[in-house]
Amino acid sequence: MIRIENLSKDLGEFFLRDVSLEINDGEYFMVLGPTGAGKTILLETIAGIYHADSGRIFLDEQDITDIPPRERNIGMVYQDYTLFPFLTVEENIGFGLKTRKVTKREIKRRVEELANLMGVSQLLHRYPGTLSGGEQQRTAIARALIMEPKVLLLDEPLSALDTQTAERLRQELKNIHSITNTTIIHVTHSFEEAFLLGSRMAVMNKGEIVQVGTPNDVFRKPESEFVAEFLGVGNLFQGKSRVDNGIACIDVGDINIVSATLKSGSVHVSIRPEDILVSTKQIVSSARNSFKGKIASIVDAGTTLKIAVDVGIDNPFIVAITKQSFDELNLKTGGEVYITFKASAVHVF
Amino acid sequence: MLKKLKQSKIKFITILSSLFLALFISVPIICIVTHTTLSALITSILSEEIQFAIRLSLGTAAISTIMCIAISIPAAYALARYDFFGKSFVNTTLDAPLALPPLVAGVSLLILFGTTSFGKALADAGLVLVFTPLGIIIAQFFVNVPFMLRILRGTFQGINPRYEHVAETLGCTKAQAFWRVTLPMSKNGFLAGSIITWSKGIGEFGAALMLAGATRMKTETLPISVFLNMSCNELNLAIAAATILIIISLISLFVFERYGGFTRVF
Repeated sequence: MIRIENLSKDLGEFFLRDVSLEINDGEYFMVLGPTGAGKTILLETIAGIYHADSGRIFLDEQDITDIPPRERNIGMVYQDYTLFPFLTVEENIGFGLKTRKVTKREIKRRVEELANLMGVSQLLHRYPGTLSGGEQQRTAIARALIMEPKVLLLDEPLSALDTQTAERLRQELKNIHSITNTTIIHVTHSFEEAFLLGSRMAVMNKGEIVQVGTPNDVFRKPESEFVAEFLGVGNLFQGKSRVDNGIACIDVGDINIVSATLKSGSVHVSIRPEDILVSTKQIVSSARNSFKGKIASIVDAGTTLKIAVDVGIDNPFIVAITKQSFDELNLKTGGEVYITFKASAVHVF
Repeated sequence: MLKKLKQSKIKFITILSSLFLALFISVPIICIVTHTTLSALITSILSEEIQFAIRLSLGTAAISTIMCIAISIPAAYALARYDFFGKSFVNTTLDAPLALPPLVAGVSLLILFGTTSFGKALADAGLVLVFTPLGIIIAQFFVNVPFMLRILRGTFQGINPRYEHVAETLGCTKAQAFWRVTLPMSKNGFLAGSIITWSKGIGEFGAALMLAGATRMKTETLPISVFLNMSCNELNLAIAAATILIIISLISLFVFERYGGFTRVF
């Protein structure tokens, strides 16, 4: 278990302020935040690259605050891979074991094992400069994992990759986590990543942790304006998707949502509150999704109003409308309304 | 071709001036090499005096280059990685020998080692720098260390410290991280710096003349040999020494352009 108590570090442009966190053994923990939130410096301070100005870090109840990085056994993978350019993939992966004075034969065996796990075994004799971004990232992860770290720190490991590669590697990260059961702290600015990988997550802003919880909790119950704004999306459902006739039909409980994103199987669905129309009568339109529901609550959100519409499933739909529309439609809590949105407004991941 | 050139006066004049410049530089060099016959040149080069000058030049330049590397590695690393009080003062001071005429540098070294009690203490300890080959090394070091320092500082600055960070998480101490990661990544900088420092060391004249003097067969490096032999009208020997200097400069220029040309010196 890793326990961080009131950690502060000031590097001028980037800083941490009074960060406290507890991450359990084997957990896949996500740290989510915008650029400049202090995510990378949090990882670097946990790794011991920077010494904390104040606060303590405990790893398995041992105080590691003053221990140099090499004795912490915490692996670090940067966004830009930082593979040693003058070493082959094989030598890169084996770098740490060489430091530990492991025999050549053992290093070779372990490197092959890790290369297999990360799917880079056919690249062992290549130099990093000749690899694609995805291959470099796999090598970097293998280089960290070979040390059998107690904690693996991943600094935006997917954000420099193209969408397809990122998606594949994301799936692999999940597999690797379940195989090795290493505690992982993964920093990202993508909510999708946090949601798909994290068992719990922390949201950071301006050097502080603003909320911690399961992705679902953070998403459903943002505790601050910032979290709500940053996560952006308002409606999130889980369901089973069937692709049929060039359209995806997602069963999210008692209703089916139609989406233009063709992805089948177990999926998440999100719809932005601004993309949903609300009306007092059913409207005939080209939009493929239309449901009847009851207004559960009305919240004033500054320039718009957020209306929760209960359509008979676990979570109500959140709809954003302007104050003029609200007045014209004469909406009241408990009133019956229809909500309508296009298939293309349904984001599936 | 000529017709085309005449179409544009500017083009014609600018190209002509560049050709003229190339001619002006290459002709005198060719003049030196072709002034005597080849056999006379070879005889001179094989003479005891020139052989001595070659050995002394190569040797002193190699030692002063090693000294430049040894002191520049830590100094350049500090200037590239850390902020400390007086950093800009140090930076400016270390650049001073670049601007100082070598002759003046030599005089200042002569005064330091020849007249002060510090110099006398060194001499008593066996380190006699005035009018000795050791003086040549110190003079070369003084004049050339800024080049090595600048190249290595630029090289270290160009290496993301994250490489060292990662190495530290992979079990390295800070020193190991430097040795196993930063140093190999600085290979080109070292090569470029060594070639510049070494070839400048071989050509060093002014500062060495002041501190080490021009004693035949004692402090007679190749440039000093050119100077001494020109003074006593031994043209063949002077040309032999000059020819060797030309060859060494051309080779180092080639190697530098080929392997280290990207390194920023200034």
